[in-house]
Amino acid sequence: MEFKLEAHRIVSISLGKIYNSRGQRGGIKLHKNLLVSLVLRSARQVYLSDPCPGLYLAGSPVPPPQPGEPAAGPPAGWGEPPPPAARAAWPEPETPPERPAGPDARRAVDAEPAAPGAGDTLQGGEAAATAEAAWRRAEVPRAAAAGGAGDPAGGADVCPEGPRAAHRPCACPPGGEAGPGALSCAPRPAKDERPVPPPGCPRKRGAAAGDGPADCPAPGSSPLKKPRRHPEEPAGGAAAEEEEMETGNVANLISIFGSSFSGLLRKSPAGGREEAEAEESGPEAAEPGQICCDQPVLRDINPWSTAIVAF
Amino acid sequence: MSSQRSFEPCASEADIISTVEFNHTGELLATGDKGGRVVIFQREPESKNAPHSQGEYDVYSTFQSHEPEFDYLKSLEIEEKINKIKWLPQQNAAHSLLSTNDKTIKLWKITERDKRPEGYNLKDEEGKLKDLSTVTSLQVPVLKPMDLMVEVSPRRVFANGHTYHINSISVNSDCETYMSADDLRINLWHLAITDRSFNIVDIKPANMEDLTEVITASEFHPHHCNLFVYSSSKGSLRLCDMRAAALCDKHSKLFEEPEDPSNRSFFSEIISSVSDVKFSHSGRYMLTRDYLTVKVWDLNMEARPIETYQVHDYLRSKLCSLYENDCIFDKFECAWNGSDSVIMTGAYNNFFRMFDRNTKRDVTLEASRESSKPRAVLKPRRVCVGGKRRRDDISVDSLDFTKKILHTAWHPAENIIAIAATNNLYIFQDKVNSEMH
Repeated sequence: MEFKLEAHRIVSISLGKIYNSRGQRGGIKLHKNLLVSLVLRSARQVYLSDPCPGLYLAGSPVPPPQPGEPAAGPPAGWGEPPPPAARAAWPEPETPPERPAGPDARRAVDAEPAAPGAGDTLQGGEAAATAEAAWRRAEVPRAAAAGGAGDPAGGADVCPEGPRAAHRPCACPPGGEAGPGALSCAPRPAKDERPVPPPGCPRKRGAAAGDGPADCPAPGSSPLKKPRRHPEEPAGGAAAEEEEMETGNVANLISIFGSSFSGLLRKSPAGGREEAEAEESGPEAAEPGQICCDQPVLRDINPWSTAIVAF
Repeated sequence: MSSQRSFEPCASEADIISTVEFNHTGELLATGDKGGRVVIFQREPESKNAPHSQGEYDVYSTFQSHEPEFDYLKSLEIEEKINKIKWLPQQNAAHSLLSTNDKTIKLWKITERDKRPEGYNLKDEEGKLKDLSTVTSLQVPVLKPMDLMVEVSPRRVFANGHTYHINSISVNSDCETYMSADDLRINLWHLAITDRSFNIVDIKPANMEDLTEVITASEFHPHHCNLFVYSSSKGSLRLCDMRAAALCDKHSKLFEEPEDPSNRSFFSEIISSVSDVKFSHSGRYMLTRDYLTVKVWDLNMEARPIETYQVHDYLRSKLCSLYENDCIFDKFECAWNGSDSVIMTGAYNNFFRMFDRNTKRDVTLEASRESSKPRAVLKPRRVCVGGKRRRDDISVDSLDFTKKILHTAWHPAENIIAIAATNNLYIFQDKVNSEMH
């Protein structure tokens, strides 16, 4: 668990560094950002692969099928671990995630943990929300009860595929079901700390050198573009994740930065990102040998647009 | 070791020294700072009149080398900070040096003027033309001594050669060419030609997403004009031979040490990044500095360094904090002494370290005003890492990480060292042991 916290902290710090590097005098330092991205990836891998129960972040195997599912409320804060007291409320799942191949959708978890009871409540109505809520409360050993939910409440998923954009911000199942002790969609604590990212490319093409880690996407590619659903997804779940990016989900950011820069993603996401000959925006590290998971889903995410959105 | 004195300009960011370099004889010492200025010190000749001020360094010349620029196309400001200065071998009465910021290299010529002609026929003392009718005889103008004037003029500007930030320059032993390296490319220039350069190393991947390492430092071999080395952020060194191909992407030799798996952490990659590489004067060895160690490599052995010295291993358990406060990205330089028997590098708390390769002894010294009264003798310092603590020891937790010695230089022949501590320059001379061992 400590590793996870440490890793999480390092991830936050790294992202902060990348973000701050945009405003540096003299332009982005390629070397430093490359190193930061390497650390980010290492931390992310540890974070995602640590079998300790992830109280607020875990890989969910089944994303909800409804693409239209709104980001109810502010996106849950991935950025902050749940308060210790709340954490204690979570019955720790004893078993590691049992869905090895499955975990793909990871959602932002509400930073406000709900009482276990609420989790159970959620479970009941899970059908639509499926794993999301279940996943979110993964720590709750719903695993046992989760049979119906169909998802591994699986603590940390083995596959550090990274948060899919399926970032269900908050626990509320569709329809706003709120059982007793319903989880409230607490605003992401982290959200306040993060500047709201501009929804589009803030800079001209080619002038992105001073930009953050993302080049401007080619004009015409909208940051809100939905990724294609990958046919292999277990539940045919939608990779509806991407749209949630604009909420600045840190988990997704990590996945984007970690993956795309390490070449885990397919090299040319749809949408095309401009490869500026100019000062490279941000770090990129490719260590194909360290691919932890090759879940195909992530490939469909346009990393640049999401990254831009996030920043 | 006795200290000379410290030069202390007003404390401002622009005064932070960013590079220090002796010339080939050691007579001149150049420093560059963040404000784009270059200050050159000259060693005073030893005189019998003032035996105590023999061989001290005084300011010789100051000039503004680089100014901040703005790249309008990329909306980027280009810092004026001097990243590196390299002296050219002296070929006539003038001295020349190369100075570079992130993007532009400049060749400066430093000349002295200590005489001026007097007694012109057509001009008077103030330079006004004389009335010819008053000129009744001819005289030969004579050179009269004047106060020494040091004139510095930019002779060449090597611009637009680099897309990324220049991190090193190195003059070739052929005295005609030099190379400049940025994060991804190395260019070869001719000192007389500014409008073109040859790209000799290019590690930029076709897809920047595949980028895994960058060039961190590079240097020409001191004797073989065809050889140069460059270091990478992954901790490897590549020796390249320009005779082999026009583009030296393929190395002739690759020097890297396998990582110790027991030391693996989130930050292993960062601390293995080489921040400086220096050939020994003999040309047989290379010295590299990474975050925690200095290593000596034998050009004939690629598998591992022949010597590794721990600079401040007590920081290994603090890497996370150092990552947070960005100290882990500090780029320390390293230096050989003239006989290649001692190596030196900087650390935190204004400490710097010297390692004697023969005796295997090492010493930690501090560059501070207290310890550097003129003629004061430097006292070795110690950092205690728990356990028995002696009286003057500094504990790891009380180290001041804002006081870092990144730039050091060693006189090419004598035991004189120049230490840059933020905005102060310290020059220490070992009067007792002025002979090289």
